[in-house]
Amino acid sequence: MHRYRFILFRPLQFIPVLFGISIITFVLVRLIPGDPARILLGTRATPTAIAKIRAQYGLDDPMWMQYLYFLKNLAAGEMGKSTLYKIDVLRLIATRIEPTLALVVMGVVLALLIAVPFAALSARRQGGLADHGVRLVSTAGIGFPSFWLGAMLILLFSIRLDWLPVSGYGETPVDKLQHLILPGLTIALSLSAVLTRSLRAGMIAGLSSDVATAARARGMPENTVFWRHVVPNALVPTVNLLAVNIGWLIGGTVVVESVFAVPGLGQLMVRGIFSRDYMVVQGVALTFAVATVLINFAADIITVALDPRIKL
Amino acid sequence: MSAQLEIRGLSVVYRDAGEERELLQDISLDLQRGEILGLVGESGSGKSLLCRTVIGLMPSRSLTMTAGTVTLDGVAIHDTDMAGLRGRRIGMIFQNPTSHLDPVMTIGKQIAEGLRHHKRLSAVAAKAEAIGLLRQVGFPDPGRAYGSYAHEFSGGMRQRAMIAVALACDPEILIADEPTTALDVTIQAQILRLLIELRDRRGLSIILITHDLGVVAQSCDRIAVMRAGRIVEEGEKRALLADPRHPYTRQLIDSHPTMTHAGDEPAPHPHDRKPIFEIDDLRVHFPAGGGFLTPKREFQALKGVSLRVWPGETVGIVGESGSGKSTLARAILGLTRITSGQVSFEGHVLTRDPKATLKHLHHGAAMVFQDPFNALNPRLTIGETLAEVLRTQGETPAAEIETRIGELLDMVGLERSYATRRPRSMSGGQCQRAGIARALAVNPRVIIADECVAALDVTIQAQIVALFRDLIARTGLTLIFIAHDLAIVRTLCERVVVMHHGAIVEEGPSARIFARPEQAYTAALIAAVPDIDPDRPLNGGQTTLQQESAT
Repeated sequence: MHRYRFILFRPLQFIPVLFGISIITFVLVRLIPGDPARILLGTRATPTAIAKIRAQYGLDDPMWMQYLYFLKNLAAGEMGKSTLYKIDVLRLIATRIEPTLALVVMGVVLALLIAVPFAALSARRQGGLADHGVRLVSTAGIGFPSFWLGAMLILLFSIRLDWLPVSGYGETPVDKLQHLILPGLTIALSLSAVLTRSLRAGMIAGLSSDVATAARARGMPENTVFWRHVVPNALVPTVNLLAVNIGWLIGGTVVVESVFAVPGLGQLMVRGIFSRDYMVVQGVALTFAVATVLINFAADIITVALDPRIKL
Repeated sequence: MSAQLEIRGLSVVYRDAGEERELLQDISLDLQRGEILGLVGESGSGKSLLCRTVIGLMPSRSLTMTAGTVTLDGVAIHDTDMAGLRGRRIGMIFQNPTSHLDPVMTIGKQIAEGLRHHKRLSAVAAKAEAIGLLRQVGFPDPGRAYGSYAHEFSGGMRQRAMIAVALACDPEILIADEPTTALDVTIQAQILRLLIELRDRRGLSIILITHDLGVVAQSCDRIAVMRAGRIVEEGEKRALLADPRHPYTRQLIDSHPTMTHAGDEPAPHPHDRKPIFEIDDLRVHFPAGGGFLTPKREFQALKGVSLRVWPGETVGIVGESGSGKSTLARAILGLTRITSGQVSFEGHVLTRDPKATLKHLHHGAAMVFQDPFNALNPRLTIGETLAEVLRTQGETPAAEIETRIGELLDMVGLERSYATRRPRSMSGGQCQRAGIARALAVNPRVIIADECVAALDVTIQAQIVALFRDLIARTGLTLIFIAHDLAIVRTLCERVVVMHHGAIVEEGPSARIFARPEQAYTAALIAAVPDIDPDRPLNGGQTTLQQESAT
């Protein structure tokens, strides 16, 4: 089990990484032009009122001091008060994290459900009609922007066919699931295009590999050769590709949540940016960064579990 | 008595984009029950293709069997259920067990897979049977081996696992495609012994594909010699080796660097001048594992090696894989970081003044690599490769580079027209000649050849060895010849250095080492080399096996 020992040690490496992330997000957020106090109070605010707000939120202090306050608050479990929502950002994030999390999981699961069979179909009939079709669609899939794809899906499934809700997020679990199908599919379609291409290449290599030849030589039926020997070997690089794409996927939720009006972190982020709500933008960016780090960690664990040769 | 497996008039044709070539021509061959048939030939002769055709696993879709029949116990097998036959009645093992075993599936599951499919055994019964098989092929702890993966074992144990996989469903015929080529000699001896033992115990019939006549002489009953898609000669082992009819068979036998000719070794070199290389207590350690917050470990590739090489001498460095012979070569050329110790080349001390010594080394020493294809830049013609070296070295005036390239090609026996060819359009032997020409381009006083004939066919090996001998005689070159093949070293080198686990275990004049090895390890290594004379049986390997289980 020493191959899994990195699970204990790796989190120690997160400390400097998270430290760096916190500095970068902190500085970047403050590069956004505009004065949050002025935006909060509106255009007719008096200079004294603005000054008062600035003092109240610590906006007059030098940036390094603001950063130290930020760290101190973080240690106490607070991310600072949102200028827009008037509550602590951490509590705000806690209420918004569920739809986003569900959306990402839905996106990845749907993407795999699409990618594995299509890649298999394509690889096993390499050069055939199905293969050309899958390659065409997956190449096109990479090209479609998700805001357009999302709008098209709404048009087809919600407005024309009236099968699924147009936008928003439900109350009961079933209701929520229904609301997540279209945004999840939007994410999955772009992601599965990338995954299909990688899986197809891995499967094609696997089908003519020595491992497959040896399995055929001991009389295994072609289906067994494929699903038991070729696919597991092709999955290893795909998991890594998925992990690399996670950052891009999280960025994608920002757009998709806006298109489908899902009340998640992405939507919160967009609102935060428009209202110069530093604390919200910073908090959400930090959450996204932490999520990316954790997901990559999870991908490493999966890779080690899939491939017994890998030691981390 | 009718043969168990009969191949009659088999032809295979390669068709691609209008091109058509006959790769196997009218092959007829019999395999008797319980015999080991050696199928011998050089690369490209079609021996692997023949066996793949028999079990219906052609390596490419462009290949078709155009004529002939294969019958197993009188039944034509291409009419029957091929997949039911494979593994069940005909098993196959391959040259490279590492790439043929599934890296992400345990060895045990790969054995059990066949048992469950062909014999419809339950999971529990298949596991019990698989563990029994692993014990039979020599795993000391079969229960643990069952749950282990291929990468956890050495090359020899992987080949044993591969054999267990192939024998799982008790096939009558085993096709072994170069099963020992990738293994060390001592391990090769063990695997060959295992195959013979399995034949005796199970009444197995074996087709053993190999390029090494020594392997055939030691393990087979009958030999079939293949060349360019045809069987040129076939017969009982002793008769064929003693009295080969076909000129190609004779050429193969003559090229074999056999161990029997004692007294052919070159005379020891006079050590009258200052050594060209002086190596003292050289240690090279590589970091192995460890990392952030985990303890650093290291692998000791060289554990205090001391060696002198005199100008004009031919020194052979032999040892099994992992013995540190390549690391030694790389370290003395400054290609690997030296942990401690001293290396000096013609009085320049590499470890004290690396910059000047490296410059001196680049002008005085050159290396020839194992894989002739990959050691040459595929995008450059041979002429461009040589010109690059000549320009970098800067001793040949630009106007004379062309002439010099011609001279170099002459020296290595390549036609001058090869200057415009790229490695892809050349054979392995031609590429290796080009590699040697590149090494000669700097006018070196020393050439270090690292397993430079290991990837070549025997007849080509013999040519390259002859080329080296000729170059040494003409130019007084110093040669450090690293090889795992003791027979070649014996005929080429004046002195032999035997390495094991990163240390020199024995060194001395070739004649003495081969006639009276002082160390048990050296003796085991020499004894394990399969001799082309069937009456000098394999007796090596046993000692190393005992040593291995003792450690």
